[in-house]
Amino acid sequence: MITVKNLHKTYPGALEPSLSGLSFSFPKGRIAGLLGPTGAGKTTTISILCGLVRADSGDAQIFDLHQDVHHRESIKKMIGIVPQQIALFPQLSALENLTYFGNLYGLKGKPLRTKIEDYLQRFGLEKNGKKEVYKFSGGMKRRTNIIAALLHNPQLLILDEPTAGVDVQSRNMILQFLREYNQQQGVSILYTSHLLEEAQSLCEEVAIIDQGRLVMQGQPLQLIQQHPECRNLEEVFLHHTGLAVRD
Amino acid sequence: MLRLLATIRKEWLLLIRDRGGLALLFLMPLVLITVMALIEDAPFRDYQELKFDVLTVDNDHGRLARYIKEGLEHSGQFTLVDSLDGKPVTQEDAVRLVNAGDYKICILIPKGATAAIVSNANRIVNDLSKRMGLPAVQPVKSRNDSLNVLIYFDPAAKKAFKSAIHQALDNFLTQIETDLLLERIKLQLHSKEADAADTFAIQLKAVGLQEQVTGPTKQINMVYNSVQHNVPAWSIFAMFFIVIPIAGNMIREREDGSLLRMKLIPGSYLALLAGKMLFFVSICVVQFYLMTLVGIYLMPLLHLPRLVLGHSYLPVFVIALCISLAATAYGILVGTLFKTPNQALSFGAISIVILSAIGGIWVPLEVMPPAMQFIGHLTPLNWGLEAINDLYLRNGGFAQIMGNAGKLMILCLVMLYLAARVEKGRMS
Repeated sequence: MITVKNLHKTYPGALEPSLSGLSFSFPKGRIAGLLGPTGAGKTTTISILCGLVRADSGDAQIFDLHQDVHHRESIKKMIGIVPQQIALFPQLSALENLTYFGNLYGLKGKPLRTKIEDYLQRFGLEKNGKKEVYKFSGGMKRRTNIIAALLHNPQLLILDEPTAGVDVQSRNMILQFLREYNQQQGVSILYTSHLLEEAQSLCEEVAIIDQGRLVMQGQPLQLIQQHPECRNLEEVFLHHTGLAVRD
Repeated sequence: MLRLLATIRKEWLLLIRDRGGLALLFLMPLVLITVMALIEDAPFRDYQELKFDVLTVDNDHGRLARYIKEGLEHSGQFTLVDSLDGKPVTQEDAVRLVNAGDYKICILIPKGATAAIVSNANRIVNDLSKRMGLPAVQPVKSRNDSLNVLIYFDPAAKKAFKSAIHQALDNFLTQIETDLLLERIKLQLHSKEADAADTFAIQLKAVGLQEQVTGPTKQINMVYNSVQHNVPAWSIFAMFFIVIPIAGNMIREREDGSLLRMKLIPGSYLALLAGKMLFFVSICVVQFYLMTLVGIYLMPLLHLPRLVLGHSYLPVFVIALCISLAATAYGILVGTLFKTPNQALSFGAISIVILSAIGGIWVPLEVMPPAMQFIGHLTPLNWGLEAINDLYLRNGGFAQIMGNAGKLMILCLVMLYLAARVEKGRMS
């Protein structure tokens, strides 16, 4: 599904590289987690996978398509991205936002309307569809942000910190949806989070990265078992990335 | 097409939700052009429609004084004042009042001025008669020193005003000297008594002066007034102010992440940009025509002249479109170059004010020093204004605006190219 080989990236003017030979691979149809401390290179990796940022060297593949100028558009059609930011127009209602993004995907008319209404209901937003997004709570914004990435039925859903700053109920709803979405639709999911407990419960496979390199990869339970001194994924994570606070 | 239409609809929804932005786009420009036309009305009327009080001190009481007075009154621009509080104006009073700025001008006709002109005409006639073998019978004064009509100007009077008065008086003097000379010649010829039925008449004006239109149509008497300058000029200014909502809109999209999502969706971002451009270009064109309507219908209600549009309506639309495209592209460039709304909005607003000042929006370029005129001709606001003046004032058509329209379009493309380069650079 996703293969990253020896990715290097240094942003112009940056003293340190963001990625220094990062390599990992996740199979199709799984919920995979990309974990790492602040500045580890998670968002850069996702940006390269989406085609938003070009790698200095190395290769990124999604469903056997190389992320390059020839396949960029094909890859965009296959993936749905939930950025860390609430990537919505605050002055527009949820319905208007979703209709607009649906139109950009080439969807229109009743099928789009029905799809939007279904998702709004699925995410508990059916009564707030006509409300402007800036009036939404953090959780409502996050849920709308996810719906915007689902409208075109992607084969791979990439979520960058999808539960950051949301209430427990919203987080629970989002995680429950992701599990069902993966199981029922067979959609692959790549997910990043700082919440290791959440990642442990959601992901079938995780890759821990730090300083632009892969630290370790495997199933959460396997990784915990490989470290007898660690009781959970968070302790494994800290064991490898250290306790020092990152900027 | 769906992407384009969806983007236009999205921009429309964003605009109508922003009441302040709507007011900035439509109401403020209307207030601006009205206020500017009212403020600048007086300076523009200076030498055209305003009447000046002219102090006249007539020490001659002859034909010259009468001729000058009639000439000035006939021009319609002057009201002659020859007495104050029921007493004739003296030279001392006149000098004092003009120097104090109470009057802009005083004309003093010296004693014996008409007599001097008559005597001079007689001398010429006598001289001609002698050469033709006729007797020199016209009386000539022995005194030969020249007399001057004196003019006193308010020290604050503008040079152009002084020059115009000088020229007018000079014309009157030449005219009366010619008239008297011809009169004396006639008199001399008649004194020889050729025939009682002699119908001899001297027609001196073999070649006259007649104003003609330079454009293809018959519009004449077009006066470059405050409305004729301010409505198009400030309309262009307001259209370029679209840079504020566009740049703000683009930076907001970048900050709130919606731009990121748009870039993540397959399909050309150019289609989205084109939708945005099309929307804001339409806004600019609507602004332009709204302000034109103000010039036509509101200005006369405020006792200002009515805006005259010329006769080329399609070229007016074309140039409005070109100005709108250039203004919108400038907004996109500013919105791309700057990272924060504060930077973009400050730069955008100040740059438009500077470009408008040097581009002849505030005052016509012709009154600026040559160096500033040269710079002014390089600004897009001046290209737009020149093109509109070509259509409104010079009765031009497509041929006259092609140059400036072309420059605006090239600038638009250059700015879009630069914006694309910057955006591409960010991605890499």
